[in-house]
Amino acid sequence: MSFRQGTNTIARLLLCIFVAVIIGTSSFVKAQDIATGSATATILAVLAVSATHDLVFGDVLQGVPKTADKTLVADAGVFQITGAGGKEISMHFQLPDYLWNSTNEDRLVIAFSGTDADIDTTAAGTPAVHGAGAIVDQDPHNLTDTSIGATDNILQIFLGGTVYPTVDQRADAYAADIILTVAYTGN
Amino acid sequence: MDSKIEYPRQTKTIGWRGILFALSVFLLSISDLSAGVLVAPTSVILTETKRTGRLTVQNPTDKPKEVTIHFSFGVPLSDSLGDVKISLQDSAITDPRSAVDWIKAFPRKMVLAPNSSQVVRFVARPPRDLPDGEYWARVVIRSQEGETSIPAASDQEKITTRLNMIMQTAIALKYRTGNLISKLEVVSTETKLVDSAVSILIDMVNRGNVSYIGLLQCRLVDAKGKIISKGQVDLAVYRDLKRRIVLPVAGENLQKPYKVEVAIATEGRTDIAAEDLIAGNSIEYSALVE
Repeated sequence: MSFRQGTNTIARLLLCIFVAVIIGTSSFVKAQDIATGSATATILAVLAVSATHDLVFGDVLQGVPKTADKTLVADAGVFQITGAGGKEISMHFQLPDYLWNSTNEDRLVIAFSGTDADIDTTAAGTPAVHGAGAIVDQDPHNLTDTSIGATDNILQIFLGGTVYPTVDQRADAYAADIILTVAYTGN
Repeated sequence: MDSKIEYPRQTKTIGWRGILFALSVFLLSISDLSAGVLVAPTSVILTETKRTGRLTVQNPTDKPKEVTIHFSFGVPLSDSLGDVKISLQDSAITDPRSAVDWIKAFPRKMVLAPNSSQVVRFVARPPRDLPDGEYWARVVIRSQEGETSIPAASDQEKITTRLNMIMQTAIALKYRTGNLISKLEVVSTETKLVDSAVSILIDMVNRGNVSYIGLLQCRLVDAKGKIISKGQVDLAVYRDLKRRIVLPVAGENLQKPYKVEVAIATEGRTDIAAEDLIAGNSIEYSALVE
């Protein structure tokens, strides 16, 4: 193989790698929409809060309390906070006392105990298997200020709860809001 | 050291900053964000000569998101143990440093289509004769699913539930006017050796007219000056604040008494642009571990 052929081969290889990188990182191209528009932003940090799994009670029977276990993947409500690793955040839940039916005529009691929340600062942690250094059995009404995991730039909250239907609870669909507010404590 | 800043000030566009921002957005976009919105930057600074600002809300998911913007008042407050909380107050705000009543946002409600973003702009209309200093608000970005449904019961005699997960991100907004003074005073320091860790509780008071934003660093050393462990935390003192740092005691041949070296400064913050930081006094001292 001549020097020129070798150079062409390398050029083709580089082109293939370039195309593969472009195709493989389409999300990066999308992210650049923001990056371009915010190139003059004065602060680099971002903060994202998401709920990746609802708190699920499944079907509930009259007169039978039902618990959504924070350690069961199928039950636990999962919140993810993504931001600057190592930065401390303040987290506050606004939790309902009742769920209301579709006509707002009947309500279903819901309660969260003082140990119904776990905090995990790894991306690999799940409700069932927490990552190293997880803070367990937290009171969701008064969460401890915690730093976002420095390795994965993430913090997860696993939430459980219990509903208490009365014996004459109307068979219906009940709904309520769970609000999580997050803020950096250092700015 | 007190510092005074005069406006107008030049806002610089730094290429590296854009690149780092893009990188951070990229790193976040590849993480699992199946619900929720992304907000940047994490604080907004307005001044008497630059009364408008902006932030970007992005929906990185494949579902529409309903987003609302409102303002609250809340500053970092600590309890007796040094744990910090930010409690948001939506109404009946009497704090003279509140900017909630005279900051406006546009738009305040939006539905973000999948993988789309929206710039939210702010404008300050402060009252006349506002005393020098800094005025505060929290921009609360609330997001929830654009479409919600309540699951149907598998049996008509059963009860089904739906808990709507609503996310709120509270971003600091500051309005600065006149001569700005950043000054902090340490009131007291308590150190305590408990099991195999030293707990340091530092009580601080803000003596300036802006929030003191900086870095608190602690080093635990033994009698020979050997560094046993160290730790640091971002500092935001709006009025008074207690911060607790716990340093582990680990190592061999350590000689008592131990000592904690404390350094507080407005330098060293990498998450806030230099032009947004008000340079303030630095504090360095040491305390024996009881």
